[in-house]
Amino acid sequence: MNNTLLELKNISYKYKNNLILNKINLKINSGEKIALLGKSGSGKTTLISVLNGTVKPTQGEVKLFNKSFEELDRKQKSKITTIWQDLRLIDDLSAEQNVNCGLLAENNFYFSLKNLLNMSSFKKAHKYMQLCRLHNSIYDKKIRNLSGGQKQRVAIARSLIQGSNILLADEPFNNLDPKLITIIKNLLLENVDKSITKKSTKTALVALHRLDLLNDFDKVIGIKDGKIFFNIKRNNLKKLHLDKIFN
Amino acid sequence: MKKLRLNYTSLSFLPILVCIPLGYQLINNIHFGGFKLFQEFVISAFNPKIDNEIIITVINRLNETILISFFSWLVSIIFGAIFGILSSNIFYKIFKIPNFFYRIIRFFLTIIRSIHEVVWGILLMQIYGINFSIGIIAICIPYIAVNSKVFAEQLETIDYKSFESINQINAPKFSSLITLIWNPIINTFKNFGLYRLECSIRSTVILGLFGIGGIGTSIFLSFQTLNFRELWTYLWSLAVLIILSGLIFKKIKFKTTNKILSISFIAVFFITILFSFSYFLYFIFNNNFENFNSVILLYQSSPDLELFDFLKLILETIILSLLATGIVISLPPLVIGIFNNNTSKIFIKFFALLLRLIPTPLILLILLTFNNPSLSLAALTLGLHNAGITFKLLVANLDNQDRRNYIAMKSLGISKKTCWLLGLFSQQAKSYLAYCAYRSDIIIRETAIVGIIGSVGLGWQLQESLSSFAWQEVTIVLIAYSSIAIVGEFINGKIKNSLT
Repeated sequence: MNNTLLELKNISYKYKNNLILNKINLKINSGEKIALLGKSGSGKTTLISVLNGTVKPTQGEVKLFNKSFEELDRKQKSKITTIWQDLRLIDDLSAEQNVNCGLLAENNFYFSLKNLLNMSSFKKAHKYMQLCRLHNSIYDKKIRNLSGGQKQRVAIARSLIQGSNILLADEPFNNLDPKLITIIKNLLLENVDKSITKKSTKTALVALHRLDLLNDFDKVIGIKDGKIFFNIKRNNLKKLHLDKIFN
Repeated sequence: MKKLRLNYTSLSFLPILVCIPLGYQLINNIHFGGFKLFQEFVISAFNPKIDNEIIITVINRLNETILISFFSWLVSIIFGAIFGILSSNIFYKIFKIPNFFYRIIRFFLTIIRSIHEVVWGILLMQIYGINFSIGIIAICIPYIAVNSKVFAEQLETIDYKSFESINQINAPKFSSLITLIWNPIINTFKNFGLYRLECSIRSTVILGLFGIGGIGTSIFLSFQTLNFRELWTYLWSLAVLIILSGLIFKKIKFKTTNKILSISFIAVFFITILFSFSYFLYFIFNNNFENFNSVILLYQSSPDLELFDFLKLILETIILSLLATGIVISLPPLVIGIFNNNTSKIFIKFFALLLRLIPTPLILLILLTFNNPSLSLAALTLGLHNAGITFKLLVANLDNQDRRNYIAMKSLGISKKTCWLLGLFSQQAKSYLAYCAYRSDIIIRETAIVGIIGSVGLGWQLQESLSSFAWQEVTIVLIAYSSIAIVGEFINGKIKNSLT
């Protein structure tokens, strides 16, 4: 049975005459947890942006559930959630309002208005914020008043609340201490609290810098200069592979 | 020889050189026929007329002024926000509409705001006659376009990454739009609303001078009868109105977390839209359009304007704008720099309030008591009135300025004036010049008002053409006037962008 969720076929992306992604072919199957490794500027963020449909490739095709992005409706597209490296939260909104933004796809306009007017229920948002170990004193604080680690966890909570099938995360463990990294990693990959996260978010592609976090992943992809150098099972990962992409 | 290098500080003072040709013409045109009148005008400021009769008149006139200015402000700020959204690229990105439409709307709004509210007022009065709603409509038309520009500029500051992030959640498009624009819209309303209310009051007063009603009409009638004591009663009551409206506005702390205020805001928003449309329909169906038919008939008469005279008027308008802008840029820093002490600051603030308070046509009429009408006099009028606004801004910004550099320089024994110039003003010069570039847009539009009264430039020609119902001439003058304003806005926009 074909259980491919996301597929990239011969993807290239050019920006101002620079080839950022070069003929990338990739399949992400249901339930896979993939770590994406590469130096800064190797094309990890662009690859994630192509996968979530934010960046249109110059060449090639992106398929989600065996359909091209253009063929998908809004609800289908919302099956992908992204944690951005630069978080992309809305500074003027409070932490809980930002987390509630993750619910915009499954609600109507009235909900978004209530969210802005602080009239919507924040119960669900608070539960996810608690899971991310955010203290209730920061729930109603504006994003601009939070620390880097707090902002990071708000972005993660916003992503988790979406309840999407596919998680794309660009260095989600930045600004977090080791204890929090373990908690957040479990949340993102294992769905620790099933009473809250009804839907599974077990398919994940996570861009990483830290090699000590690779243990929980099934596969590792190495990217350098916009090209995939290796796409292997984690157990097969050798020093040689890492040397190829980091040197 | 060393090359002259200009910086933002010196560029703020250099335009004062316009005073050389300006002063030359003013001195040549001086007369003492109205000196006594001027003296009487100044003395009356400290002895306004106060009795029961005038107090009742003031209350009635202020009521009219408040009604016109408040409704025109409310309608223009709400529709300004709507058109601001429609002319900002965020709307087109979310709804994936081609940018072509956004350019059309922007161009259309640029043309509308290039024509001053007084010109709209005079045009509408010629067609529909004098009535209360003409005042509101005349202010609303250009104000909606001006406000939409401000809202659009604020919406352009929305981080593209926030847009991408919300877009990626794949929420319904209107939900994405409202989530992204809500706070920028509310913040613009908070920061810009009071200023626009003050502008609306001033515009109502100026339109009043042209007969639309309110306290402006009373001011004009008092001036015509040379009843200066009565005139000052109106002016001081106007000052109280402006100051009070500012205080009330500041008292309303609009927090987006305040549910009642937010709901009230939304309710007012929709009621205003509904009311405006209903009123517009009422206006269309209840107005006598016979005048409009006569306009169409008169339109067929050929224009009587010589090309050379027309080009001369255009040139006059441009020179008038440049001279006035020179005064607006340089006068405030020069006066504040020279009279740099606490007592002088009080006088400067009072002087600036008076310049802002007295409508431009009235300043011109007062100056005409001892000077013949000329381009320089019109420029001086326009410059002084707008300098009142730049004075206020500069004083406020300097008060909030970090004074550490100033104190450090003072401790080195450097003179107070130099410390002020290099330690305080130099840090403000860039943003001050950027604001003056914006102010210059307004000056170009206001040339029409001083032109009408001071017999200068296209404003004067517009009045002449309107008086003789030469509608083809009116159209030509309006196109020229609008073109100058649009080109001016384009140049000032470039200057502003390079400064911010």
